[in-house]
Amino acid sequence: MDFLNENLLTILILLPVIGAVLTLAHQMFWKQEGQLKWLTLGFTTLNFVVSLALFSKSAVAGPSGYFFEKNVPWIKAIGTNYHIGVDGLSFWLVILTTFIMPIAVLSTWHAVDKKRTAFYIFLLLLESAMIGVFVSLDLLVFYLFFEASLVPMFFLIGIWGGDNRIYAAVKFFIFTAFGSLLMLVAIIALFFLYADQTGLGGSFDLIAIMNAMKVGTLVIPPQTGTLLFLAFALAFAIKVPLFPFHTWLPDAHTEAPTAGSVILAAVLLKMGTYGLMRFNFGLFPDQSKEWAWLFIALAIVGIIYGALVAMVQPDVKRLVAYSSVAHMGFVILGMFSFTEQGMQGALYTMLSHGVTTGALFLLVGFIYERRHTREITAFGGLSSPMPIYATIFVITTMASIGLPFLNGFVGEFLIMVGMFQSQVLAITTSVNWNIIATMFAGTGVIFAAVYLLWMVQRVFFGKVTVDKNKGLADLSWREIGLMIPLLFLMVYMGVFPKPFLARSESAIKAIQERVMHQAGGTVDHAEAKPPVSGDEHK
Amino acid sequence: MVENNLLSIIIFAPLAGALINWLIGGRLRNELFSGVVACGTIFVSMVVAFYIAFFADHGGALHAEKPVLDHLWTWIQVGNFRADFGLGMDRLSGIYACFITFVGLLIHIFATGYMKGDKGFYRFFAYLNLFMFSMLTLILADNFLLMFVGWEGVGLCSYLLIGFYTKRNEAREAAKKAFVMNRIGDWGVLMGIFLIFTLTGSISFFDKVVDGQQVHSVFTFVAEHMTADPFTWGAIFAGGLTSAAVLFFIGATGKSAQIPLLTWLPDAMAGPTPVSALIHAATMVTAGVYLVVRANAIYQFAPTAMWIVAVIGAATAIFAATIAIAQNDIKKVLAYSTVSQLGFMFLAAGVGAFTVAIFHVMTHAFFKALLFLGSGSVIHGMHHEQDMRKMGNLKKYMPITFITMAMGWLAICGIPIWAGFFSKDEILYKTFAADRYFPAGVFPGEEFLWGIAAITAILTAVYMTRMMVMTFWGTERFHEVLPDEAHADAAHDDTHHHDAEHDAVHDDHDDEDEHHHALPAGFRPHESPWVMTMPLIILAFLSTVGGLVGVPYAMSSLVGIKEANTFEHVLEPVIAENKTETAIKAKENAESHEPEVVQKERMLAGLSVVMAVFGIVLGFALFLKSPLRKMPKILEQKWRLDELYNGYIVDPITRLSRERLWKGFDVGFIDGIVNGIGHFVMEAGNLVRGLQVGFVRSYAAIILLGALAVIGYFIYYGLKLVA
Repeated sequence: MDFLNENLLTILILLPVIGAVLTLAHQMFWKQEGQLKWLTLGFTTLNFVVSLALFSKSAVAGPSGYFFEKNVPWIKAIGTNYHIGVDGLSFWLVILTTFIMPIAVLSTWHAVDKKRTAFYIFLLLLESAMIGVFVSLDLLVFYLFFEASLVPMFFLIGIWGGDNRIYAAVKFFIFTAFGSLLMLVAIIALFFLYADQTGLGGSFDLIAIMNAMKVGTLVIPPQTGTLLFLAFALAFAIKVPLFPFHTWLPDAHTEAPTAGSVILAAVLLKMGTYGLMRFNFGLFPDQSKEWAWLFIALAIVGIIYGALVAMVQPDVKRLVAYSSVAHMGFVILGMFSFTEQGMQGALYTMLSHGVTTGALFLLVGFIYERRHTREITAFGGLSSPMPIYATIFVITTMASIGLPFLNGFVGEFLIMVGMFQSQVLAITTSVNWNIIATMFAGTGVIFAAVYLLWMVQRVFFGKVTVDKNKGLADLSWREIGLMIPLLFLMVYMGVFPKPFLARSESAIKAIQERVMHQAGGTVDHAEAKPPVSGDEHK
Repeated sequence: MVENNLLSIIIFAPLAGALINWLIGGRLRNELFSGVVACGTIFVSMVVAFYIAFFADHGGALHAEKPVLDHLWTWIQVGNFRADFGLGMDRLSGIYACFITFVGLLIHIFATGYMKGDKGFYRFFAYLNLFMFSMLTLILADNFLLMFVGWEGVGLCSYLLIGFYTKRNEAREAAKKAFVMNRIGDWGVLMGIFLIFTLTGSISFFDKVVDGQQVHSVFTFVAEHMTADPFTWGAIFAGGLTSAAVLFFIGATGKSAQIPLLTWLPDAMAGPTPVSALIHAATMVTAGVYLVVRANAIYQFAPTAMWIVAVIGAATAIFAATIAIAQNDIKKVLAYSTVSQLGFMFLAAGVGAFTVAIFHVMTHAFFKALLFLGSGSVIHGMHHEQDMRKMGNLKKYMPITFITMAMGWLAICGIPIWAGFFSKDEILYKTFAADRYFPAGVFPGEEFLWGIAAITAILTAVYMTRMMVMTFWGTERFHEVLPDEAHADAAHDDTHHHDAEHDAVHDDHDDEDEHHHALPAGFRPHESPWVMTMPLIILAFLSTVGGLVGVPYAMSSLVGIKEANTFEHVLEPVIAENKTETAIKAKENAESHEPEVVQKERMLAGLSVVMAVFGIVLGFALFLKSPLRKMPKILEQKWRLDELYNGYIVDPITRLSRERLWKGFDVGFIDGIVNGIGHFVMEAGNLVRGLQVGFVRSYAAIILLGALAVIGYFIYYGLKLVA
């Protein structure tokens, strides 16, 4: 058990790498790419199964209060450690990653027809990097994983993407790399600040730095703090993406192959919101509170803006991409409300957006494979030739719209409850900015119905106008099979959100208290209750 | 606290029906199976609802002081916010549950006849059962959030059922419009829930204990710990009870099709007629009234909101009535009539007569369901012709439909002893005389609102008589070519042939529709089968005598019965005790049986009978001789409200989004900057490249220049130091 406790996360990171190596070996020795998808599917599924061990009830918190913690020196010269662990915040994101990967692999079954070896290697490496991002507790290790996730995605878009893939890939890379470079500078600055003030030598360890701030051995000057905060925030805001840094997203999504879009929407965007919660709130609680107004404002603009622009998109995939901008705006809004409801809602929306938007991209991919177009005007009346497809699409749409008892509602509702109660905007007593903010954000709920239903109506209802569409085959068993777990989660997360929320409760509370009550104060991860509890299902 | 686990059967039976029909019915494609499953599950719901309402736990929920509760699971719990999946039946939801399941069952039975032969038979009943699940969840929810689940659920089912004929363009347009307009209202409900939670720390309707934790009721909290807001405009924006009340009312305007969110309901008639009867007349559209009455503790402390409710209600009532006069589609007449009647209900709620509002909800459910099903029977008999200009003299062919619909007609016009009389008359009386929630001198005050309601009552009698005359009396016009159709028909001749071919082939033609066919030459309308007429007869009976449960003292005393208004007494505990001085006085006033008060009520009742009769006579006078009388264009065009919304709201937003935001800001500005930086780097690179020409002499020159510059700088700096 101890072995598992210490090494489970490492196994999760390494398994896909082993898969990638085997894929390469397979190609070198057998020169045949037909079985590669099975190999990749096997490894991603295995990784998912292994990741279920995270639910283990016998898990105990490590010295820093994280579960499955491992902390060994890596590069002694610069004081960086291979320090990993999960808490309630990262727990579900790791599960989401391992869960979505086999589904993404299945979606490539007939879709990828060139350079398959490289494609599957990139997919597997991407999984490693994503898991690494969510479990890193050392700033440098985090940074490396964060950047490492960029490379496979760049190639996935650039090689297997649509017609305009080069532009999209470069744009994606430049936007995100630009942000993360500033973050690297900030990380190095933190390293030296720590070294100067504590006299213990430099450290990249998140926990060490936070503890030093707590006991007062590390005091970051306010102005420096603001700069560092903004450097981190910019990197993550681009990743989320927060308005106005969002323009890479529609291009990247539209050009990426289906699997790429799914992973991008389901996991990659969450690295931004996760980063804000883990690093910005953890390291710079004062600044997080001080700048909350800016993020809330941008989030609200993003919610409305994303919805309005989504409404007029002629391309289904681009429409879904813009809807992501709106949904991620809700996540930012909830996080920066600094209320328990808002932050829990934000995490919940991250998960449900991963499921729902992932599903939407898969569905768009199905029709693209059949018709090689995604223009809304090329369709119409699809519910006659493809009734199962239409049914699944409409259910997914309803989840995305935020219909109660489907997953989208719970998170968005909690976010708005949280924002409504929020104290961070209490600048003046005469105007309740928190209420005004919620009211504007709430209009996003209306717009979501408009753009999604309008699209559904134009694509699925009416008479079949284009002859090519008359003979379209409905979903195959493989396609139905990979949608079923997603549909199940949409309903389950909508009806029984408690087990999900229960696991993240203590971690979210700790972050919220750190920001709202005593910046650099008594937050103590050792106090955190185990995220693993009693009777929950898997 | 009374617990009864049977309560959940009421909602889950229809859900089970929906799932069975969806999963199994879709494979069997057997109409008998689907019909029995759908009607059977509603029957189970109905039996349980009546059992709990009247018999269970010592006399039933309608007699008990405390609601019957059923806690299923805790849905969302974060921090101090909790929302349970818990049901509760008190006297208000008991009444609702009973008439919804009862009318629902009749409409389900009717629909098995009406939808016969439709390819989507199983799908239709799956949706209809899902609707019943949502509607009953809405009514039986024991907190605001679960109510909102039902609220959204009925919206979804309404969307699915309006758009049931998916191939018809206007059906899917109407479906989307209904959903979006409802969503605008839902925004208000959501915000209202947030505000109420902030103000009271709870969203529960009832005091209860869950898992050993005390959960307090919003309404008890409001009544005990809060005070009434003043009557000011500012109160609306103050973030207090008035704001919450207004927000909830925004939701009500969406769901119940009040000004300004009313245009979706008439369009919703594109759905099959049983849907119009069930969802868009009897049940779902009255959810807004339910919400206002449920939250009456809040409204009583929010006089400004009460006034808004009353004014919007009265305005909608008369606005819709004027449109109803000029419509030629039989269902459109009934749709606008529904909007108008809903306006009456809000008027009642707005003047504080909450029980009367619910009374009218119930009687309206009977006679409007009857009228809609009757119109369905007519449409069925007329081979899907809905235009009244092509009907006439149907009483000869469809006697049962005619007689039953006539009962509904008398009921809605307000002829004594028919159900609509008691409820509508009481609304008029209460508007004129009863509980004063808004101060004297405010315009429009009670008397003015009464005037509007009275005119609307006359208009109601006129348009209903017009509808009856055009449909059942006069000459047969089945084959007449209408002036505005003559031209279009010629053009469509081809299409008709085309359609006929499809009919013969029967495979591509699965949209089973109600859409317009030219009636064949030897056409004779026929009476509908018994599954359709039987519900009509039962509803006609209820429309005739159903109002007797709520006869006010002023009338019952005429025949020597002292207290017959059982309806009001049953609902009394639901209405929060308002302790403001004016309210107490008004209550005393209303309850006193002093001769002059009773006299006044009788006089007003007499007046409204005169008005109803006048309206009917006027209707006959105007339309019996010339049923095709031209009505004012503006009324026929519904005051051009749709054009207004499209022209001033929808189109500008779409244009803004496309031209300014997407093409202007995203592609133009942001990407412009990013690409611009890219270009700048490229250009700069090109520029610098000019320096790297590869000639040693130019490098030497550059080095020389650089050296000179450095030396020059040091000299300058040194000189400055010296100085």
